[in-house]
Amino acid sequence: MQQLQYIKPKSLHEALQYLHEYAGQAKPYAGGTDLMVQLRAGERRLAETRYLIDINGLAELHGFAMKADGTISIGAATSHSAVSQSALLQEHAPFLCAAASSVGSPQIRNMGTVGGNLCNGSPAADTLSPFVALGAEIELHSLRGLRSVPAPDIYIGAGKVKLAPDELAVRIHFSSAAAYNTAFVKLGRRKALAISRMNVAAALLLEEGRIADARIAPGCVFPVPGRVPMAEKLLLGQTPCAHLFFECGKAVAEEMNARTGLRWSTPYKQPVAEALVQRALCAAAGIAEEE
Amino acid sequence: MPLYGKKQFNAINRSVPRIDGYDKVTGRARFAADLSMPDMVYGGVLRSGRSSAKVVHIDTSEALRLPGVLAVVTAADVEKPQSWASYMYITDRVRYVGDVVAWACAETPQQVREALAAIRVEYEELPAVYDMRAALEPGAPVVQEKYPDNIFKESVFHLRKGNVEKAFAEADFVIEREYETQYIEHAYIEPEAALAVQHAGSGEMTVYAAAQNPFFTRRYVADILGAPLNRVQILQQTLGGSFGGKEEGLGLLAARAAWLCRHVNRPVKMTFTREESFLESSKRHPFLLRYKAGIMKDGRIVAWEGTQIDNCGAYNNQTQFMNWRANAHSAGVYSIANVKTDTFGVFTNNVHGGAMRGYSSPQLLFAQEQFIDEIAEEIGLSEVEMRRINCLKTGNQHATGATLSHVTISEVMEHTLAETDYEKKRETYKKQTSSVKRRGIGMAICHRSCGFGAESPDASGAMLIANEDGSVLVHSGLAENGQGLKTAYAQIAAEALGVPYENVQSFGVDTHAIADCGMTVASRGTVMGAQSVRKAGLQLNAVMRQNAVELGFFADMRKIEQVNGLKPYSLDDFSVNSGEQLLLRDGVFYLPDYPAYTVPFNAVTGSGIWAGKQLSSYAWFVPEPCVQDHETGQGVIAPTFAYGCVVAEVEVDMRTGYVDVLHVTSSHDVGTAINPALIKGQIYGGIVMGQGFAVMEDVELHAGKVGNPNLDEYILPTAMDMPNMRVNVFECDDEKGTYGAKSVGEPATEAVGAAIANAVYSATGRRIRKNPAGLEQVLLGKKLSKG
Repeated sequence: MQQLQYIKPKSLHEALQYLHEYAGQAKPYAGGTDLMVQLRAGERRLAETRYLIDINGLAELHGFAMKADGTISIGAATSHSAVSQSALLQEHAPFLCAAASSVGSPQIRNMGTVGGNLCNGSPAADTLSPFVALGAEIELHSLRGLRSVPAPDIYIGAGKVKLAPDELAVRIHFSSAAAYNTAFVKLGRRKALAISRMNVAAALLLEEGRIADARIAPGCVFPVPGRVPMAEKLLLGQTPCAHLFFECGKAVAEEMNARTGLRWSTPYKQPVAEALVQRALCAAAGIAEEE
Repeated sequence: MPLYGKKQFNAINRSVPRIDGYDKVTGRARFAADLSMPDMVYGGVLRSGRSSAKVVHIDTSEALRLPGVLAVVTAADVEKPQSWASYMYITDRVRYVGDVVAWACAETPQQVREALAAIRVEYEELPAVYDMRAALEPGAPVVQEKYPDNIFKESVFHLRKGNVEKAFAEADFVIEREYETQYIEHAYIEPEAALAVQHAGSGEMTVYAAAQNPFFTRRYVADILGAPLNRVQILQQTLGGSFGGKEEGLGLLAARAAWLCRHVNRPVKMTFTREESFLESSKRHPFLLRYKAGIMKDGRIVAWEGTQIDNCGAYNNQTQFMNWRANAHSAGVYSIANVKTDTFGVFTNNVHGGAMRGYSSPQLLFAQEQFIDEIAEEIGLSEVEMRRINCLKTGNQHATGATLSHVTISEVMEHTLAETDYEKKRETYKKQTSSVKRRGIGMAICHRSCGFGAESPDASGAMLIANEDGSVLVHSGLAENGQGLKTAYAQIAAEALGVPYENVQSFGVDTHAIADCGMTVASRGTVMGAQSVRKAGLQLNAVMRQNAVELGFFADMRKIEQVNGLKPYSLDDFSVNSGEQLLLRDGVFYLPDYPAYTVPFNAVTGSGIWAGKQLSSYAWFVPEPCVQDHETGQGVIAPTFAYGCVVAEVEVDMRTGYVDVLHVTSSHDVGTAINPALIKGQIYGGIVMGQGFAVMEDVELHAGKVGNPNLDEYILPTAMDMPNMRVNVFECDDEKGTYGAKSVGEPATEAVGAAIANAVYSATGRRIRKNPAGLEQVLLGKKLSKG
């Protein structure tokens, strides 16, 4: 039976020392909303876990900051509630607030953190899609040093991430999207406390009525999260309209089939990916889904 | 009778606060899992996780060596591994994933888990069958040796009326359809728990249990101990929901705790994890339903044929009762001259089907009420007209042959349709062209036989005790399961005895203190179970009036004259020498002709206790017999029926298949509303349970294994999903139930799923013949699975 030790380090350095010393046996504990469930279920990937390192008290992992160059950073242990209520984020990344507010239930949003949401490796992580659309980078610390990794790059596949056992996600950085119109749409099996069946984060930069930049990040669609460059390209220089976005949705769904191959779920996911991409783009552009 | 509000009563027919409401909302209520005792230890079980297997070898030696472990038990150690029903306390022949192959008892829950993890079991996998159709194939693996064709023969019922073959031959249209429903979990907030304590001297066993039916639980405990029933006491604890679920699984749990308690000679507590509750509590039976109707051009249904097959799972003690109900309601709330239906259960290597709110009606109505819509559309009639023509009316013969009185369905239906603007909306929604969101509206009507009827004897007993201070205790063998029984019983006792509701207290069930009154199921608690409470109240009312006279409270005529403003000696020729001359109402005794002189109830109890007067009563109630022929199902099936109509409005996302239930209007003829607020609470809850059944709930089974055994993956409606709800409570003059009350607990949920399914069709033009209307089912017409 799995025996666990609980450790509460006083500094980031101390936390990194523990992660180094117990590499492979220590797990950072922030909100615990995924970790505790997985431990109770006896998941194999946690079979070696012996130490829970409580990182909640570490100042570096909290709060929002904006630099003069317009880049924003969020502490990895910031709760979904704090993200969804942040005035700064509501201005610079409103779809991230929307995604954070759609996670689980109020209790889960109060405990669960954005860093955990990314590092847990679930393709259904709600904040992952806006982070991908934002081009967010994750600042990873270890005793060996510091590196920055684009959010999608830490994903290997469902539930698997490219984090070294001694590495800790400390902050998430991205550029302001205040100039963009953004939207996050989520499909679950009920209205609250639902895991995404699929979701889409979309951001459009409009200049003189035309689309100057487009970012589309669908969730639960690709084995490894990412944007959809060929679909985004269709939009550049175009005037937003439902038909254009419909075509763009089809391109995303085709891309899904190309990246995943035809699967048991394709008959459902293909039309719905088309619909949700179109819906997210329409919502971002502020136009009706139906002409 | 119209909507609630025209009847005249004192203590009933009023929305008095719940007896247990304050404790529940302030968190003071204690549940079985909250209890602890000095020297208490814990028990737990090892489940096989296999659907069909034999235990070849089991090694408990390592587990026994672990610290804190007091006992590790296998089937070979237990004198009677099989319960009085087919369920196993412990077994070495596994028939479904929840089957238990070992128990452990230790000082702490953690040590129990460690002991269970240290048990080594070697299995030999055996053939298994999961699907009802496959289980009926010749040569299919046999689930229970007693039933070689997998048909649960005690659960086979037939309905035969008129001449179906002839009627089909003469019908203008013959239409057939098939429908299928899913496994549904009760998902009560409180998982099962029991604490067993053996009295050091007497050896008597007391079990504190989260039991829906304490006497039923006692049967399990006495059975495993081999003890007489008078040596086993079950004390029911506050229940955090049951809905039919805390019966067999809870009985097995309580029995295991009692056995371990005797074995280690310490109090033993056992609680289910949520996953265990999913595995060993019963589920709403999935049904495979085939109906065929013969209809004339004018819309009259002249013939009705049906096959109703339900999945029993690996063990069962409910299908034979449930199928009685399914059989009796197999032709819906319609007047049809020629009926032929067959109903039976099939064993499979799955979790077991059992009682769950509705007891087959949600499944049957899901099919029947869609079928009525489908028939109407096919012959070119509106579904409303179809129901108007065919629904039961006073004087009609039920499919079981009984001639019905007080049939209120037409009135309930018309009111609901008018209030919801149903017909106009239904037409408007037909013209929608949006490819994104479409609205739909659907209806369903239903009837339900009240109480047990011919299913089982519907007798009960109750005891009333008036204390010296005038407070009153009502005691019944029927149980508070969250439905409000204690409150309703206190109101009924107060009404019959003639004291204010506030004077009466109702406490939980102690099996040592009252007779077995049958199970608290079948929505019988108020309609029939409370008949004995009323009878005991009326008896005590008479006893107390006689006491008032014998104790001299009406002997002083001068005082009676004075208080009534009469001249002295004007009542000289009058004397009070019998209680029959008095009335006892609302807590006071008085003479009907001279009502100004009153004697408070507590004056009589206060004197009576010292004079050795009887201050209590006990009554047993047996309803008029319901006699039904087993081969044809013909006869009287119930004292009366409850009628209901539900209209649901939905918005369907045409691009994702998401069904948003916007509005549900639910109207029910409750006969007499004992407590209108509690009735509304029942109906609101029933609507949301019906919504879950209709659009999202589904226990996913893959080769018998439960894919979603916890509430993170078993999706049921949250507060955010609830529709707007409107409830109409109808009353009527039917006097068969207690003070004219009818059943409402199950009617509240049974037709909701059907109304939603019909609304989904109205929105999309797609029939949900396989429940639920989940994303894939609505968009693609089928579920998707990895398999």
